Amino acid sequence: MIVTFIRTTVIFITLVVVMRLMGKRQIGEMQPFEFIVTLIIADLACIPMADVSIPLVYGIVAILALFLLHQLLSILETSGNFFKKVISGKPSVVIDTNGVNISELKSNNLGVDDLIEAMRAQGYFSLDDLSYAIFESNGKLSPLENPNKQKTLSSVPLLVVNQGKINDYNATLIKSNNEKITAFLKEKGLSLKNTEIMTIDGNGRVYLKGKNKKYAIENFPLTEGVKW
Amino acid sequence: MVKTLISMICVFLLLTFGAIYETNFVQRQFGEFHEVLTELYQKVDEQTAVEDDVYAVQNNWLDKKRVLHIFIPHNEIKEVDLWLSESATLVRDKEWKDAISKIEVLKELAEQIPKTFLIAWENIL
Repeated sequence: MIVTFIRTTVIFITLVVVMRLMGKRQIGEMQPFEFIVTLIIADLACIPMADVSIPLVYGIVAILALFLLHQLLSILETSGNFFKKVISGKPSVVIDTNGVNISELKSNNLGVDDLIEAMRAQGYFSLDDLSYAIFESNGKLSPLENPNKQKTLSSVPLLVVNQGKINDYNATLIKSNNEKITAFLKEKGLSLKNTEIMTIDGNGRVYLKGKNKKYAIENFPLTEGVKW
Repeated sequence: MVKTLISMICVFLLLTFGAIYETNFVQRQFGEFHEVLTELYQKVDEQTAVEDDVYAVQNNWLDKKRVLHIFIPHNEIKEVDLWLSESATLVRDKEWKDAISKIEVLKELAEQIPKTFLIAWENIL
């Protein structure tokens, strides 16, 4: 019993640490430790149930140990900001008045495409649709809409440059290529290496953000016949 | 909050006392079983053992294993059952050398199984 209890505690703590290190990518609307409990409690219940050679007590003790640890962490979490930060993490502001904050995304093991995906799920298709976007500690995106948001969008913006790298497939969708994009960036005083994000929609509307610079909305000269 | 604390204290006490009881119970049961096996071992060694001596050990084990099933993986209990049955046949056939080795295995099992309940690195890791 005591060995099962200690083993459960060791596994639980390991999982909490690993989940916290994984960032917000792995969590969905639950705090990390709640997610872990959900993840392992089903197996704990099933193994002694299905395998008759394992005494039922083994499963019961492990489940009770999890209950105890969960309650303990819940109490610690509500007892102060320090414990809350250690156990569940803190919200991350990934879009602010300067645009997308890449370093904040990276610290949560997220990429620009993950942010765009989370925004699309909330009904926002352009990165400048939001004044602020916050990834909560449970991995959920909380958006604050930009008051100057475009009322209608006729084309979905494509991520053409992501942290200094051109997405060739997206570039071909708007009938563009490396040379055209590099030339456009040069015109705007940026090198490809110093470009964090560039999205272009089917009307040539560009969201451009250079390293350590505020984002800008530009216009890209699209070739005729673009059907995106 | 009060309900949470009460439930936590109850579970903690349940686990603590359960663990203490389990450890003591398993140690005691296997301690007694080891003594009975040692007596049988001596008789087999002196070649004075009869089939009934093994059956007495078997009956002693049957009483204990009913409760031990709660705490010990059933495969380990089955292992003891099998070694005991083999010992009974060997004693009946007066194959003392083989019987001794079987009883030695049983004694080893009676020593090792309770050790898996102790707080030790090898049990936790």
